Amino acid sequence: MATITLHNLTFSYPEAVAPILDQVNLTFASGQFTLLTGPSGTGKSTLLKLMTGLLSLPANQGSISFNQTDLTAIVPTDRAAQVALMFQNPNQQFAMDTVENELIFALENRQLPPQQIPQRLTAALDFVGISHLRHRHLNHLSGGEKQKVALAVIVAMDSDVILLDEPFASVDPTARASLLRRLVRLRDEAGKTIILADHDLTDYEPLIDNVVRITAEHTLAIVPQVQQPALFQAFNQRVSTHTTWPTPTSGTPLFQLKQVTLQQAQHQLLEPTDLTIYQHQTTLITGPNGSGKSTLFEALVRLQTYSGQLTYLGKDIQKLKRKAYARQVALLFQDAETQFLNITVAEELAQCQKYAYGDYFTPAHIDAALQQLNLAGHQDQVIYTLSEGQKKKLQILLMLIMQSPVLLLDEPLKGLDLASINALVQLLKTTLAATQQTLIIISHQLTGLTPLIDCHLRFDQHQLQYQEAF
Amino acid sequence: MNPSIKLLLLLVIALEISFTMIISLNVALVILAIIYLGLHGTKLKTLAWLLVVPLLPAIGLWSTQYINGSGDKTLMAWVLFTRIYAFVFTGATFTLTTNILQLADALEQNWHLPSKFAYGVLAAYNLVPKIQHEVKVIRAAGLMRGQQLSFWSPQLYFKAILVSINWSQNLAQAMASHGFVEDAPRTHYRHSALHARDWIILGLGIIGMQIGVFVIPWH
Repeated sequence: MATITLHNLTFSYPEAVAPILDQVNLTFASGQFTLLTGPSGTGKSTLLKLMTGLLSLPANQGSISFNQTDLTAIVPTDRAAQVALMFQNPNQQFAMDTVENELIFALENRQLPPQQIPQRLTAALDFVGISHLRHRHLNHLSGGEKQKVALAVIVAMDSDVILLDEPFASVDPTARASLLRRLVRLRDEAGKTIILADHDLTDYEPLIDNVVRITAEHTLAIVPQVQQPALFQAFNQRVSTHTTWPTPTSGTPLFQLKQVTLQQAQHQLLEPTDLTIYQHQTTLITGPNGSGKSTLFEALVRLQTYSGQLTYLGKDIQKLKRKAYARQVALLFQDAETQFLNITVAEELAQCQKYAYGDYFTPAHIDAALQQLNLAGHQDQVIYTLSEGQKKKLQILLMLIMQSPVLLLDEPLKGLDLASINALVQLLKTTLAATQQTLIIISHQLTGLTPLIDCHLRFDQHQLQYQEAF
Repeated sequence: MNPSIKLLLLLVIALEISFTMIISLNVALVILAIIYLGLHGTKLKTLAWLLVVPLLPAIGLWSTQYINGSGDKTLMAWVLFTRIYAFVFTGATFTLTTNILQLADALEQNWHLPSKFAYGVLAAYNLVPKIQHEVKVIRAAGLMRGQQLSFWSPQLYFKAILVSINWSQNLAQAMASHGFVEDAPRTHYRHSALHARDWIILGLGIIGMQIGVFVIPWH
């Protein structure tokens, strides 16, 4: 059980003009589940990293205390017993090769006697429901599976306070619900204090005790009980179950799959499949985590091996020149940083303008888009210092400026708040109308996205097929 | 056998054959290595590969020495030829039978190397397949933006370095968030033992090498 008190907390990044957190005072009561919300880029990750001690707070910039003990006064080896953080990016939180070894590593760090390790390890995996992943390689797991492993590590370490930084950005609804159920149990049965940062508020209403919002003044405010329903309301307008998309039957075939199978390590992802994806249709691909959606995209851009035949406009993609094909079919990577080639925002924009395949994006157009995406004024910033949300928006803008005839978007809304999503979808709509590009989109999040979609492919149980109802 | 002792023995052997010109010793080492690998259940196919892959550099060295060398050209040519195989096969007795985790355990527990070092090396090793894929991805990302990043393109390396710096920072944070503290005591689940047997094998190995070098150099 631990109460966390933030006292006059102020923090600024060296390169920033204004502090990202300014004179924050707040107490998180022990044994409660608090939802921390606010638009992307407002300091949620920073706050959580400060609270974990991963970022150190400069002297005289306020204090963070756990049960009245200042964080800096807690011996580093005892910190993990006090507080643990689950990261936003599932790929960057493990040091070892397999699930089992990662858990052992964490328990050794906690100085658990070796004879107690097997029992603690098994119990943690059972609690999260991933005993079957025990001997798997972390590199071969899907985003959702990795987040489950991350939770298992936290459960095994038995930290009093569990912080989660947008943990569900690349997690499908089933895995998300399962993780949330576990968190609620950790609060109710083990008395853990949980603080979860998210901007997508779907499904939290019945689970949480408090909502804390990051305000425009860079401080934290508790959202009063009476205002909470309105806050959640905005997110509950989910896709109505009556939305249907027709199965396309005519049109110019863009991609054709002939007996295509996909595999990752020893696991088959896709059984031999015949399928056509059409030109000038926006196709949405949904499916649970780890079903193979991203792998399919990697196969389409020749970053992943497959068997069978894949054709683009009637030609086998293996027979096309790599360079020419890359000009036709571009991929918006799930991890925004993968897409960047330069250092500052302005350099990235200039590079895209130089190599763009069309002239729809004039400098004026780009400025307007930057305004629309709330990125104006960041031109001279180093891209790697942008927030995850800002990186994502910039990444999408860059790939739109390129105007490749086909753009595959892998989770384009990942890590974005509602305002950003609406701005982006608007930008996509106007751009599409002018450039006639074909988009294929993988997304878990459908809020705001549905007006763009023409047809829907479902990737589940090793099958990939058109599905009318969602 | 304790991986660190095995590595030490192999380093002594490698150092010694680098400075000797005894064909019989090189051949004997290759044969011993094949026996050792066989006992550890190495597949015949793998052994065949180990014989085929070094053939090209071995022939290259042999012919260079045979054509351009000085002194006893034939002897030197065959010394170099067999030396390559001795390096490859003795090296394989380590890489094919020891996993890096065991080595890290041994370095940390038996030699009291800072755990930061042991786990840093281990984590970097685990990143290797990801790095290979990442280079492919960086080049593809360049092509999709109309830019060809060749193997001598500075941008490719800039990106690769950025990615590595980023990964190393994230890795440090990941380790810290899983309770790792530099120089702090840890418990050890996998016990890495250093038996008297290991020291005896090391001693016998080194003595055996000296016999092979100084006492019975058959050539």
